[in-house]
Amino acid sequence: MLATFGAALTVFVAAASAVLVLRWAGQAITAAPLTAPERVPFTGGEPPEFHAWSRYHARYYVMALLFLAFDMEMVYMYPWAVVFAREGIVAFVEMGMFITILLLGVLYAWRERGLEWA
Amino acid sequence: MTGWARRLAAVAPPPVFAVAGVDARHAVQDLHLLPGLRLVDAPRQASVLLLAGRLTDQLLDAAVAAHDAMPTPRGVVSWQPDGGGPPRGPFTGAELVGDADPVEVIVALHRSLHLGVRASTPTIQPDVDPAPWRGEGPYGQGGSGMTGGVPYGRPMATREDDRDGLSLDALPVPVGPLFTAFPPGMSARVTFKGDLVHRFELGPSPYDDVRREPDVFLRALTEPVAVAALEVARARALLRWTAWALRVQGLDAQAQRVLALARAATPGDEARVRRVRRWVTHPLVTGRQLRAIGRVDTDALAGLAVGPVGRAAGLIDDLRAEDPAYRELGFTPITGQAGDVAARWQQRLSEAEQALDLATRAGSLRTGGVGAIESPRGRLTADSTPTTRLWSLLPELVTGVEWGDAVATLASLDLDLDELPAPIASRDVA
Amino acid sequence: MTGPSLPPVAAVTLVGALLVAGVYLVAVLDRAMGAAVAGQRDSVRGLLLTPVRRAAALLVTSPSGTERPDAPGWVIAPALLAGLAAVALATVPLGPNLMVADPATGFVLFSAAIAFVMIAVFLHGWSPNAVWPMHGAYRYGAQALSFQIPFLLAMLATALPAESLQISEIVRAQQDLWNVVRQPLGLPLYLVVGVAVSFWGPLNLPDAADLAGGTTAEAAGVTGLVWQLARAAMLVAVAAMGAAGFLGGWWGPWRPGAGWMLAKTLLLLVVLVASRHLFARVRIERFVVVCWAGLIPLALLNIFISAAWLL
Repeated sequence: MLATFGAALTVFVAAASAVLVLRWAGQAITAAPLTAPERVPFTGGEPPEFHAWSRYHARYYVMALLFLAFDMEMVYMYPWAVVFAREGIVAFVEMGMFITILLLGVLYAWRERGLEWA
Repeated sequence: MTGWARRLAAVAPPPVFAVAGVDARHAVQDLHLLPGLRLVDAPRQASVLLLAGRLTDQLLDAAVAAHDAMPTPRGVVSWQPDGGGPPRGPFTGAELVGDADPVEVIVALHRSLHLGVRASTPTIQPDVDPAPWRGEGPYGQGGSGMTGGVPYGRPMATREDDRDGLSLDALPVPVGPLFTAFPPGMSARVTFKGDLVHRFELGPSPYDDVRREPDVFLRALTEPVAVAALEVARARALLRWTAWALRVQGLDAQAQRVLALARAATPGDEARVRRVRRWVTHPLVTGRQLRAIGRVDTDALAGLAVGPVGRAAGLIDDLRAEDPAYRELGFTPITGQAGDVAARWQQRLSEAEQALDLATRAGSLRTGGVGAIESPRGRLTADSTPTTRLWSLLPELVTGVEWGDAVATLASLDLDLDELPAPIASRDVA
Repeated sequence: MTGPSLPPVAAVTLVGALLVAGVYLVAVLDRAMGAAVAGQRDSVRGLLLTPVRRAAALLVTSPSGTERPDAPGWVIAPALLAGLAAVALATVPLGPNLMVADPATGFVLFSAAIAFVMIAVFLHGWSPNAVWPMHGAYRYGAQALSFQIPFLLAMLATALPAESLQISEIVRAQQDLWNVVRQPLGLPLYLVVGVAVSFWGPLNLPDAADLAGGTTAEAAGVTGLVWQLARAAMLVAVAAMGAAGFLGGWWGPWRPGAGWMLAKTLLLLVVLVASRHLFARVRIERFVVVCWAGLIPLALLNIFISAAWLL
């Protein structure tokens, strides 16, 4: 079992390293120091007035909370999927009740316009 | 190894960032059709800067900023499709196209840049840090300890209250004349709160007042012109807009197809335009994504006579209905209902189809009235243009709207900044 | 019981070769379909060579930079995305005896790889400290949070007949009947969220045209190149998992083996790449609402239909 995760980790490290090597090669080929005007972010012609980094108002924070709830539901559904065929109708009904309650939450959020933001 | 990479790079289709003056906009748009090069949205993706047409000072400043943003190796090509002066300002050393094929010149420049035959153009603006840090800031940054270090010189956005109670940053951004998703030449100072537009301050038109070759619509203001020619020009203009708007919505390949049709549309092409309309406005393709956004209050539109925008909202307002030549052809204005962006797309493509149909049947009819004409954008007279009438509505149309929707809305209005009166302090242009 | 796993060198070589071939194929297919939709003829030689030439052009162009970027983040983001794509592809079994990494919880590993894509895209958009990339980063945040649940639910339905989270078991359970037949809603849902994961075509919100290229607006030269490569790699991994989970993997009318797997992956890749030229970019708000109020109920319906069938 560990061997498979080891293989996955090796593949991950290898792919990431390949990208890093390619990047390093690209920078080595084109080594040229940048002047100040070349660094200015381009927004269409005029230089920007402010840092882009800011306290960005990501308006989907309500949806993110909903996502947390459903992510926890997914945690329960993983083992449920494995044992479902064995456990039969009881498992079906139990998971159905669980999901219905969560879906009611989604329905509420949708009605209260928590999924939109403009 | 690097030589091999450079040789391959030299024969790649060059990525080009185009700066189009008022007389070269269509020529630059037509470059999308040519497979030899690739027009890009951001100068950082480009290796060749194309200066097309006559550039005013504002466009020239923007071109300088774009040039400096381009990565090396970079070059500049100057193209005057309608004849004109040599490149001005810092671009006097640019490669001239003259009578040659612009694609060949650009490809040759790209090749010589990558093969090392030609040096990359140096940075134009002085190598001075535009936002140097000047010691300790008002919040203690730049000092010692946790707020120490060498912070960056541009100020940070400050907080403003928002309608949902959270007080987060409002970020003002100057979106300049070279932003490809905007109507060509439009510049604005957009204050973002998250990805919603909080404030939208329009900038002046970058085009000047120098007289150009009048197109058929301007000629129709002073003399009767053939209805067939007028309607074919109308269809082509509407299809050209469709091609540009498709590109803004991410459908580059379909945009190319429509642009090819826009250049070659003749009176027999109604069936092709109808197929384009059915395909492009299909709910799965663009229709569903463009619904219910960009509505303008019908009362605000009522007196403006802004052509397809008004007609898509249900206003029956078409100067052609009063023209005896059109009445003879049985012309009735097409109207929509929804008044949103999808309705405007549908409206323009339907009108293009109708225009070609009129052109087929027009024979040798000539337009009746002079003084006012129904252009593809709306009622055009010698003193009043549709874009000018829409201009004051723009800020409230996009305020409080998510950025993608704002861009789609502005695109759907088919604004031509050349129709705006020239800036009052218009500087000298060669 | 986990499947046989390859030794590290073989694993890396196999996944690497598949990704390189897959990325090249994505570029060629994209060009070919773009030319077909645009009504232009492109020579076969041009079609095959242009992606290589463009990659070379990006490689020898200066990577540029902005005034005050998050330099480590900008370097890490494409590497992370490529690593995640490789891990995702590694969990897909290629043949009855050809599996790179097939743990008993392979599905969870794949889902974890997909989930972290959000980190990579956000980092790529945040790092340049420029407006358009930052907007792209936050848009992808909304997109990623929305598609995760429909994605997991659509794939979970494939685990029901197999009674296992091991991908090779999921493929083995399709010996008699492919999941696309007994769970008809599954594959369309998976394709939609697959396009969303690799932010391709209609769901290319972080790199959109209305953001002047979004997270790639400040990424010149090799920085832009590795990002495009990683994104295409993600598309390949998504297509491969779709072939394994819904189209029966290595099973075929005769001689089950890796050849069927490759053919099915190619088919799904064609479908995924074609979406770019057929559908316009979606509105982010609309996508969020459709995911939560539309795709989740559909995915749950899919699960319950297949659950009822199994009972």
